[in-house]
Parts: sequence; C-alpha cells; structure tokens
Amino acid sequence: MANVREKKEVSVGKAADFAVGQFKIVEIDGREIGITRLKSGELRAVRNHCPHKGAPVCKGIVGGTWLPCGPGEMVYGRDGEVLVCPWHGFEFDLLTGSELFQDKPLKLLMYAATERDGEVVVSV
Amino acid sequence: MDTAAVPRQATQFKVIDCDVHPYVKDGLKSVFPYMPEAWVQRFMRKRANVSQEARSLKYLHPNGAVNRDDARPPCGGVSGSDPHYLVQDLLEKNKIEHAVLNCLQTGSLCSTLASTDESIVLCSAFNDFLINEWLTVDNRLKFAMSVPSQDPQASAAEIRRIGKHSQIVAVSLPLLNILMGNRYWWPIYEAAQEVDLPILVHVTGPDSIFYGPPISAGGIPDSYVERYVTLNQAGESSVNSLVFSGIFEKFPRLKVIFVEYGFLWLLPLLWRMDRTWRQLRHEVPWVKKSPVEYVHQHIRFSTQPIDEPRDPKDLDKLIEIMGYDQLCFSTDYPHWDNDMPGQSLRGLPSAERQKIFWNNAYTTFRMA
Repeated sequence: MANVREKKEVSVGKAADFAVGQFKIVEIDGREIGITRLKSGELRAVRNHCPHKGAPVCKGIVGGTWLPCGPGEMVYGRDGEVLVCPWHGFEFDLLTGSELFQDKPLKLLMYAATERDGEVVVSV
Repeated sequence: MDTAAVPRQATQFKVIDCDVHPYVKDGLKSVFPYMPEAWVQRFMRKRANVSQEARSLKYLHPNGAVNRDDARPPCGGVSGSDPHYLVQDLLEKNKIEHAVLNCLQTGSLCSTLASTDESIVLCSAFNDFLINEWLTVDNRLKFAMSVPSQDPQASAAEIRRIGKHSQIVAVSLPLLNILMGNRYWWPIYEAAQEVDLPILVHVTGPDSIFYGPPISAGGIPDSYVERYVTLNQAGESSVNSLVFSGIFEKFPRLKVIFVEYGFLWLLPLLWRMDRTWRQLRHEVPWVKKSPVEYVHQHIRFSTQPIDEPRDPKDLDKLIEIMGYDQLCFSTDYPHWDNDMPGQSLRGLPSAERQKIFWNNAYTTFRMA
C-alpha cells in the first residue's frame, strides 16, 4: 500500500468569528490548532506548539516588532504579522511561519486554511 | 581556512607577543622631561611617585612582587625597566618578532590614582617617554599607547596627537567602572577608528580595590587569590555591553582586544548572549545579527594566563569549539604568571597554533 497521507478538510467555524490579530484555538484529532486572520484578510492556521520548547505559541502576542535599525534609532513595523511565543519570546513571521531575523530559522507548523461558504476550513 | 600565510615551521613559530609591560626606571622622575615645568614642580612638591603595584595590604602579592625577581636587569632597576635587557631576555630568548608594550603604570594613574588633570599630563609624558626611550631601542618593540580615560575628549586628542606613529599598534584604554558600550567612550572609539588602531583593554592594577576602575561582581574579594580569579568578570561584562549597545554598528571598523582577562568564559557567554538575543532582539534592534558574529568579527582575546585543566586535552577541545580565530598569544612578561611560547598550547594542530601565535594578532593590531 502506498504511503500517501490523505489530507482531510475540517470546518472550524463561521468565517465571521475569526478576527484580525486574534487566535481561535480548536482541537482536531487531538492536535491544538490556532486560527487567525491577517490584516489582508488571509487566514493562518498554526499548530499550537512552539518548535523551540513546545509552548502554546498561539497564546502569544500578535503584533509587530522593532525592525533592525541603527544605534539610537527605533523603527516599528510588520504590525499584525508577528507572533511572539509566550514562553521564551521567539518571534515568528505569520506570513511564512519562519522565525524572524535568523540564518537558520525555526518554523511554525502551519496548515492550509480557507474560507468556503461562510465557513473556515482547515486541511490537516 | 587560509593556510597560505602560515609559514611551514614544525617546531619554531613566528610569534607576536600581545602583552609586555614596561616600567619607568627612576620612578616619576623618568617622565619629568616630558611634561611642562609647572607640573614637574607640582609633582615634586607633592613628593609624588609611581609604584609597581597600586594595591592595599590584602592584595599585595603573597610572594612579595608581581614582577619576576629573575627578570631584573643586571644593571639595576625593577623587572621590565630596561628596554635593552627586555629585548635580550624576552625577544631574543623566545624568538619573538613583535612585542606589544602596554604600560600599566600609566594605566593605573589614568584610571584611578591620578586626578583627571594630572592623568592627562602624566599620560602624554609616559607615552612620549616610551616613544623616545623604548621604541627607538628596537623596531620589534611595538606600543599600545595609553589614553587618560577619565576625559574621553582628551583621550581622543592624545590618539590624534601620536596615534600615527609607525610603532604604535593599539590604544590601551584604562577601563573605568563604566561599561564599554556606554556613550561615554564614543569619542575614543571614533578617534581610534580614524587612525585604524584597535582598542586594547587590560586590568590596570587598582581594579576591584579602589573606586574608579571596574570592580568584581558580588562584593569585595578578601585576598590576592580571590581577586585574581574574579578579574575576568569585567571582560565578560564588557563584551556583553559592547555588542548589545551596538558599538560595532556605530563604529563598524572598530576592533577590541581583551588582554589578560582569560578566554574560556567566552564559550558560555556567547551561547547565553546568542540565546537571549534570539528571544528579545527587538529591545536592541541595532543588534542586527547574532552576537556571536559581532564577537568573531571585532573582538580578540589574549591567551595568558592560559587555564590549565588537569587533562590538557580538555583545553585543546574547548579551543577547538571556540574556533582558532579568536585568540592572540601573550606572555605578560615580566609578571609572575607569564606564559612563554615554547610551553604554550602545545597540543594544538600546527597551523592553528601559528594562527594564535601570529596571524590573529597581525590582523588585529595595526602592524602594517
């Protein structure tokens, strides 16, 4: 038998219940998955398990960060695109899932999430 | 690895010694010809002199002297006070091709023992004394010029006054109890970078004894032994401060060499700095890459006093983990705890040993 993992689609609620900048955490087959909406309207579904030390990463801060700049400067950006782990503070890019500003970044485990007929559907 | 610049010598290495201490022969009188008469009169009226060791009783060396008794010049004077004898006793005997002089008598006066105005005059006088009466003796003698660090503007002026001398290879900065990343130091870094000199830091003598220089963490040590073991702490704090204050972004050509602070502590320090940067980078957004990278690019460490694990292979392994580009060999002549090249780092691979004895220092100091 071919070792092909079939993906299944799971409806996780009404699209209107997924707000920008907030995670709604659902459980699918024993796995916690956080779903949030970016400012662009796109959805992100993230395994609620930090790749660093297993923290419930989706309970962290969703916001921006202070971008690399010169000494004495302060530049805020990427607002709404950064997830900060509530334990050790690792910053993740919600657009790509990658840890920010690292040569060898850790990556969030992300799932495809789409809107269909007013529902949010996650592929797991 | 660049091996092209490494001479193929199996047993004899080219050596740059990053830490050699010259002393004045006749006390403060030695430098009177290099200062204005009004200041000579002031120091004579005060009956001022300069000691070998700026210590209170409990920190005096348990065997009587920091300077080796066996290194006293035959013609008299304290060890390290005769450049001709030093050339013969250190350079000739150990085939050292360049020795970087760093005067701790100037350092202790500038950091602590003299007033700000006195330190400015004394610093220039000591620098000129060494330029005229030591550097002229032998071209192998190089010099880490001192600066009167209680006044950063005067320090910058001193760097611009003599910093282009061909045998001056570094700026010896007497540290105060102000961390190296503090903006207080900016004028000095700016001037040093301008003349392509690295900043050399070294314990100046009054450290952890008086108010003024860096002090050991947690309290005042109770003996020479306790104090000696804790002197590396200011090195750790300084590396941390330089990196997280963004000094190497502000002064991208600046190099710093930590002399006689030890080096094995660097491994856990860098791991901790790297992890903390990864966690809370956005508090110091001017730190644009891992602290490990800044340290590898901008900071070097002298080897002496080399730590001595009971199994010497442990040391070789730790240096391998650190990488061979961080270390520069130093003797600390004429002090009691000196390391001589023939007995140092013998377990390392030949090409890597040559990097530590020559290449790393050659590219750190302004040798060309």
